[in-house]
Amino acid sequence: MAAIRTQFDQELAELKSGVLRLGSMIEQAISDSMRALVERDNELAKRVIARDQEVNELHRQLRERAFMIMATQQPVARDLRLIVSFQHMVLELERMGDHAVGIARAALRLNDLPLLKPYVDLPRMAELTESQVHDILGAVIEADQDRARAIAERDDEVDILYHKLWDELLGYMIEDTANVHRAAILLFLAKDLERIADRVTNIAEDVVFLHTGRIVELS
Amino acid sequence: MRVWVDMQTETSPAQIADVSPDIKLDARQINFFYSDFQALHDVSLAVQACKITALIGPSGCGKTTFLRIFNRMYDLVPTARVTGEVLLAGHNVLDPDTDVIQLRRQVGMLFQRANPFPKSIYDNVAYGPRMLGWSKLEVDRIVEESLKDTGLWDEVKDRLKRSALNLSGGQQQRLCLARALAVQPNVILMDEPASALDPIATLRIEELMQELKKRYTIVIVTHNMQQASRVSDFTAFMLMNQQRAGELIEFGPTDDIFNRPKDNRTEDYITGRFG
Repeated sequence: MAAIRTQFDQELAELKSGVLRLGSMIEQAISDSMRALVERDNELAKRVIARDQEVNELHRQLRERAFMIMATQQPVARDLRLIVSFQHMVLELERMGDHAVGIARAALRLNDLPLLKPYVDLPRMAELTESQVHDILGAVIEADQDRARAIAERDDEVDILYHKLWDELLGYMIEDTANVHRAAILLFLAKDLERIADRVTNIAEDVVFLHTGRIVELS
Repeated sequence: MRVWVDMQTETSPAQIADVSPDIKLDARQINFFYSDFQALHDVSLAVQACKITALIGPSGCGKTTFLRIFNRMYDLVPTARVTGEVLLAGHNVLDPDTDVIQLRRQVGMLFQRANPFPKSIYDNVAYGPRMLGWSKLEVDRIVEESLKDTGLWDEVKDRLKRSALNLSGGQQQRLCLARALAVQPNVILMDEPASALDPIATLRIEELMQELKKRYTIVIVTHNMQQASRVSDFTAFMLMNQQRAGELIEFGPTDDIFNRPKDNRTEDYITGRFG
């Protein structure tokens, strides 16, 4: 069987490469936003916020490209699943970028205030989330649904840490109303990390759909 | 259109019990030969009643040959030979004692190019019913009904006595469909019915098919995969084997075939990677 549709295959490859480029920008944004918090680096936080424009622009370009491929190539079966999955993945990645901006903004508000408590669970939660993001991009590259399912299961670890942090920060608020401002910001920040991990699960569902054509709920 | 020429008999075929009521046509282990050349190898396909079944596959895979077995059109080819069975209402239409005229009344056909008779619009549709000996009143009624069923009535009701050859390509094709419907078939076979039509006329035929499937079973051969995915309920993918005989590779609900085909050869074909 001779290989044909070379142009189409090239367009799909470019789309995939764009999705992975966006993924790598998001990995960097999450990592930098947390470093801006832990190292109290306001300049780094501002750079994360500024770079979100590039994320948004790439997201727009990829959606447009996916739409054009659908309009001009009439994809079906695995090709259609690939494009539909990629469209959804870029949406999830762009939202992850927004959460990274949320973390950077929280860092800007916290960095000039005294530490409420040493950052221990938050960096741990961020580490888990970042590794999930990194691994799910690997599963996308390999179109490996088993790996995607396993990554989605790791969301529970992030949830456990989130609930632990929630209880702890609530305790700080109850203990002293002077803590409320900083604890509330940290709660929002933790929520951003928790939502990033949820979006990893959504991408894992896309990988399963890509492979099987079935829409599944992994959470 | 020899099909219509000798319509005179209406015998009831003998019944065979083992057919599901939902299955209108049941082709079992069909092998088809043109002299020594085998064109179809062991093709089995159950066509569901009141559904549209599409036959897709590359040129030469035997789609049209297979379609023409359902109403014994191959009888017109002297060197043709077929084994297996095709059950229609429990009767094997391949039996030598089959009343072929009656069969072709039950299983009508629409061809790639519209082929109206060089007669008036009315006479085209009235041809079959007249051959069946229906009264003038009945013929008038069935002509109007058939033209309405194909969406032509409002377009032609004031010029029924004019030549059918003056109609547009799309109208001619719908006229041929009305002509087929006029003898009240159960099944309509369509061999690339829209391949010579423009996109608007094509969509009209496709819309018509959706209406007609409420009352008729339709089997369509098409090269246009978008058309197959748009109009059909079931899709059969055929391919030539090493000996160049057509085989059925995969058959199932159209949603499955175009979203999650089980066979890699089907996937390669529908995604355009088969060359």
